[in-house]
Amino acid sequence: MDLLTLIVFLPALGGLLCLFVPRAQVRVVAVLASLATLLVSLLLFPTFLGGAEAAESIFGTSYGKLQHVIRLPWITGEGFEIEYFLGIDGLGFPLIILTTLVSFLSCLASWNFDTWKINKGIRGYFFLFLLLETGMLGVFVSLDFFLFYIFWEVMLLPMYFLIGVWGGPRKEYAAIKFFLFTLAGSVLMLVALVAMYFYGGAAIEAAGGSVPSGYRVTDSGAPVAITHGTFDLIELATNDVIQKYFSAKATLFLGMRFAPIMFMFLFIGFAIKLPSVPFHTWLPDAHVEAPTPISMILAGVLLKMGGYGFLRLCYPIFPLGGEYWAFLLATVGVVSILYGALCAMAQTDFKKLVAYSSVSHMGYVLLGIAVMTPAGFQGAMFQMIAHGISSPMCFFLVGVIYDRAHHREINRFGGLWLTMPKYGTMATIGFFASLGLPGLCGFIGEVWVLLGTFDAGSKYTWAYPMAILAAAGVILTAGYILWLIRRVYLGNEREEYRGFPDASGREIFILVPMAILCIALGVLPMQTVFNFTNGTLDLLLAGVTDTINAMI
Amino acid sequence: MGQYTYEILLACGVLSPLVSFWLLVFAGPKLGKPAAGWVAVVLGMGVPLVLATIVLIGWLGETEGGRAALTAGAYRGTWAYIGTIPVTVGVKLDSLTVAMFFMVTLIAFLIFVFSIGYMKGHSDEVAGKSKYHRFFAYLSLFGFSMLGLVLSSSLLFLFIFWELVGLCSYLLIGYYFDKGFASAAAMKAFITNRVGDFGFLIGLMLVFMHLGTLDLDEAATVFAQQYAAGTGIFASHFTLFGWSLATIMGVGLFCGAMGKSAQFPLHVWLPDAMAGPTPVSALIHAATMVAAGVYLVARVYRLMTPEALAFVALIGCLTLTLMALIAIVQVDIKKCLAYSTLSQLGYMIFAMGCGAWIAALFHLITHAFFKAMLFLCSGQVIEGCHHEQDMRKMGGLMKKMPVTGITFLVGVLAIAGTGIPIPGAEIAGRKIGLGGFFSKDEILAVAYVRAFEWDDISKHEEHGEAHGAGHTAAPEPEGSRAMLVADRTQAEHHDEHQPAAAAHGAQSTHDSHGGADRAAIFKDMKKLPSWMFYLAIFTAYVTPFYMMRCWWMTFMGKPRDQHVYDHAHETPLMYVPLVVLAIGTFVSSYFLFRPLIEDASHSATSAAMVLATDGELGTEAIHAAHGWLRWYVGGAFLVGFIVAIAIYRNGLGLAEQLKKVFLPIHTILWNKYYFDEVYDVVWVKGCVLVAHIARFFDTYFIDLLVNLSAAVTERIAAFSGLVIDNHGIDGIVNGIAKTSIDIGGVARAPQTGRIRNYVLFATAVATVVVVCVLAFGMDSGSGAATVASSVAP
Repeated sequence: MDLLTLIVFLPALGGLLCLFVPRAQVRVVAVLASLATLLVSLLLFPTFLGGAEAAESIFGTSYGKLQHVIRLPWITGEGFEIEYFLGIDGLGFPLIILTTLVSFLSCLASWNFDTWKINKGIRGYFFLFLLLETGMLGVFVSLDFFLFYIFWEVMLLPMYFLIGVWGGPRKEYAAIKFFLFTLAGSVLMLVALVAMYFYGGAAIEAAGGSVPSGYRVTDSGAPVAITHGTFDLIELATNDVIQKYFSAKATLFLGMRFAPIMFMFLFIGFAIKLPSVPFHTWLPDAHVEAPTPISMILAGVLLKMGGYGFLRLCYPIFPLGGEYWAFLLATVGVVSILYGALCAMAQTDFKKLVAYSSVSHMGYVLLGIAVMTPAGFQGAMFQMIAHGISSPMCFFLVGVIYDRAHHREINRFGGLWLTMPKYGTMATIGFFASLGLPGLCGFIGEVWVLLGTFDAGSKYTWAYPMAILAAAGVILTAGYILWLIRRVYLGNEREEYRGFPDASGREIFILVPMAILCIALGVLPMQTVFNFTNGTLDLLLAGVTDTINAMI
Repeated sequence: MGQYTYEILLACGVLSPLVSFWLLVFAGPKLGKPAAGWVAVVLGMGVPLVLATIVLIGWLGETEGGRAALTAGAYRGTWAYIGTIPVTVGVKLDSLTVAMFFMVTLIAFLIFVFSIGYMKGHSDEVAGKSKYHRFFAYLSLFGFSMLGLVLSSSLLFLFIFWELVGLCSYLLIGYYFDKGFASAAAMKAFITNRVGDFGFLIGLMLVFMHLGTLDLDEAATVFAQQYAAGTGIFASHFTLFGWSLATIMGVGLFCGAMGKSAQFPLHVWLPDAMAGPTPVSALIHAATMVAAGVYLVARVYRLMTPEALAFVALIGCLTLTLMALIAIVQVDIKKCLAYSTLSQLGYMIFAMGCGAWIAALFHLITHAFFKAMLFLCSGQVIEGCHHEQDMRKMGGLMKKMPVTGITFLVGVLAIAGTGIPIPGAEIAGRKIGLGGFFSKDEILAVAYVRAFEWDDISKHEEHGEAHGAGHTAAPEPEGSRAMLVADRTQAEHHDEHQPAAAAHGAQSTHDSHGGADRAAIFKDMKKLPSWMFYLAIFTAYVTPFYMMRCWWMTFMGKPRDQHVYDHAHETPLMYVPLVVLAIGTFVSSYFLFRPLIEDASHSATSAAMVLATDGELGTEAIHAAHGWLRWYVGGAFLVGFIVAIAIYRNGLGLAEQLKKVFLPIHTILWNKYYFDEVYDVVWVKGCVLVAHIARFFDTYFIDLLVNLSAAVTERIAAFSGLVIDNHGIDGIVNGIAKTSIDIGGVARAPQTGRIRNYVLFATAVATVVVVCVLAFGMDSGSGAATVASSVAP
């Protein structure tokens, strides 16, 4: 059986199994299923090992070299073909590992389900949880836009129920808000999906009805002929004919130039997910209401789909859109960084603070991508992975103390480092990683993005002030995180928390891998992330730049 | 010793404290007290000290050419790529590194030992749990970070270790975090440093973008080339406050130093940092970490334009004066030393800005010894006096703590610049004196020349250069041509390490070119305003006064608090390090360090731009100034001492009277020029206010829009339900009722009907949009097809 298919559907199978085992065994099955998925996903590593020397054989010489490809016809009809098309490259691979890891850890974080306020329906919970994992993994591996869209929606519904059923007091409001926001983005994406298919078809028709593929070759080495519109994300990005047609001045959609408007449709869909200001307000509500493990998934993986979407769809397929909107996107990124940090500073709810810090951190992702420089792209990708580790860690840290104190009011805490020394040490690592302390994972992404942004100054003058404003974010970040640490962990022990047990073995087991990764990513960024991502990112950027230069 | 031996010894020296850190993190609680402390002493600093000593001895045995070859051939490995530019990790191996490494390990080792004695009498238990091992774990981590900082060959790594020492400082200031003021001080220190780091980051970005490398040596080479050719960063016409881009780069990097070395106006954190345990104040906030800012400026000296250096001088000058004045009125023994540290750091920075690179670093090293000693003395006093820090309650402690009193006095003499300014009285070829006597005189001499005689010299230089090319080979004994001599030195170096140059040919050729180009930059340095010199010389009189005041109030006169006096005692584990440091103060003033720094100035700067009183780098004018200035500054310590003793001889009575006479001035100084208050209102409160505005905007504006649109959707959905489905009648009634009750709060308790409506509506919209798109898409698709056919190949 194909490895990617196995990885994607293993959790869903485990989820089905959960429905049929005795209640007491459900969580065991769920944890085993997510652990199995994690272990299987680790089998992907050998493909991407080899470092800089083997980069060409792993990542190819232009964007579009894939590994572990599986492509089968799925829905075919007159003039169209929807494929079951999975494959990974430097974009998908690290996110797969991140997803399986965070899912496993948050599955473990659900272990104490029985002690939750709402502890009914354990089967449903773990079934939906594992279905969600399948949806997320599917998004990162599918390269057929139609399939991608289906997984995108598959991921949406379990999340809706997980927040809406097992959440806090305002769970329904939060769940609906999350659902509607994402759905609004989905609708725009759907428009783009259909438009891309038909415009691609039109391009091929105009070019004589059959054009050579941009990246696929038959066994004999000749390019495959493309005869109709396609949902193939790689084909759309690499096919010269389609690309020229998409970015031509005369190609219009609703009276507007095709590439920029399509880019914007997709962008809004992904920016909601990222989330960027002003589409971010679903996030704090969803986080505050969601149970701890769901928050971990939400922050660790779901937000990354926004960034992944930019890199997989927006930029390769509509490079011109990237050029066209660069200023706007970078502005949104910088505003997210500063505004998110300011909002975080003013929060009194521990979880809401961490949620707003996500808005701020993901702003770096958007900024790095928007400026289209090598360092910017690399930094954005790194920031996604780094945030995917530090942020779930922070949410889990909040969860640990919420389980004991049953409230999240920052100002009511104090002296927890004395009460719970192990937990306090872990919290220091987690929050300092989030702060961007050198030697920990948050630093690399930020610095790479800042340097990348500044580097873009040679093509966009506005990049200088943007970089400087974004750099000012480091002061605000230090401000709200240290203030948080001071109010929650430092100070003298409080009477009401005396006797709280320190982090349990299970909690330590969840925190330690994340803490180790925080340090490993910060110390060895090349070996842990960049070696796996840069190959694809550099080629992707080179393709984007070529197209833009050819058009201007 | 071979290249690798040096590198491996130094690298092990850096890593050993890290091992100690992890050991203490994991096994610390089991090791307990005092075993955990001894682990830190042996593994955390003992091993590095031994290694540093071996390196030092080996290094002293190298010839000048051998050293240059070692510097040029030092290890560089690629750590990561930023975009396509490699970031190297490597060893910066030159005399400055060796000197700093030895100084840091020696002082840190002594302070680690002292700490065991200090912590013995301190309660480290809060709520029944010991934090003892944490203290030594943090100290070890600090050792790792500080040594890493010294060894960094790349600006990015410098920045990384820079932040790590900041973290250690944060953790150690906040060691007594159960006390509110300690955690507040820790936070203040970190955030103030971050403000400086913001500037550092901007500098880094400019270096990255315009010089295309973050390696210190490469960046300097590229910088010099660009300066000569007018390309790269010098091609930009961008200016801000009249600064060119290159100047902004230098100023940005210097901002980092302003944070870490607590320069005005970012000085506010250092006095508060004294909330940490006293050994920490001695090690981190007096001897090593705060001096890292000066070290940074020394390392990026080659990236500084004359305008940037002028800014450095300005900041240093303001700091050294303003902080010395505050020190006069302090009554807390540690705060008094803290302000004197600030003032001395100001001297170092001022010296850097003037071009006295050697004097600045020399002062850094001598200051490290005597200031560490002073702080440890104060720690001994505080410990002995039952945690009393107020000098008004002390007095007469000399009888109870003779060793401490005498070592403290040695520190006072050193910082005051005590010496015998009479020709002929010499040890090891230098006049008799301590620490500041040499470095401060030199700084002042250079400052004098920069402020009064600079125009003449630089004109003369230009003239000399035009004619000088031919007779550079025959150096004149008291040559007034610093640049030319320096160029020659560069050339000689170049010749001497030909074998190494073969391997690093390109680089070392660039270096020597770099030297020549830097000479041109040097010539562009402007005259400094004369008030800077006057302030510096004025402060040279203030320093002995406040230091003698501090000593006299503590150790002499009559005991003012019998309880404190009765309790006073000293312990050997604590005063042995004091004695060693006192000896170190003597030794560092004469031997070892000065030659090493002079040697470093050849490679670590382009020698051409260094002004000094000694050797081939000195100009006639500086020598002259140095000669006669002695008569003005040399006696400053006596004046200061006499005034201080006169005032405090009979207790605090006269001081109180003087305070009443100068009340307005005293109030301003007592309140530290109100910086804390102003910053609190403008920055802290301002920031929090903006944050609350943002939160308000988020909750009541953005969310209002979201909820409103949801409410509108709900109504439409209910309406469509009516049209599509007769059963929807109920829905509209509920919907309208609900909406009219609460427009903002949507769907607090959603009934199944309403969710269905949402989904229904969303699906309907999606369907309509898809249909539209299909129609339009097909339409414009085929319409544009004819156009596209001309585009398509």
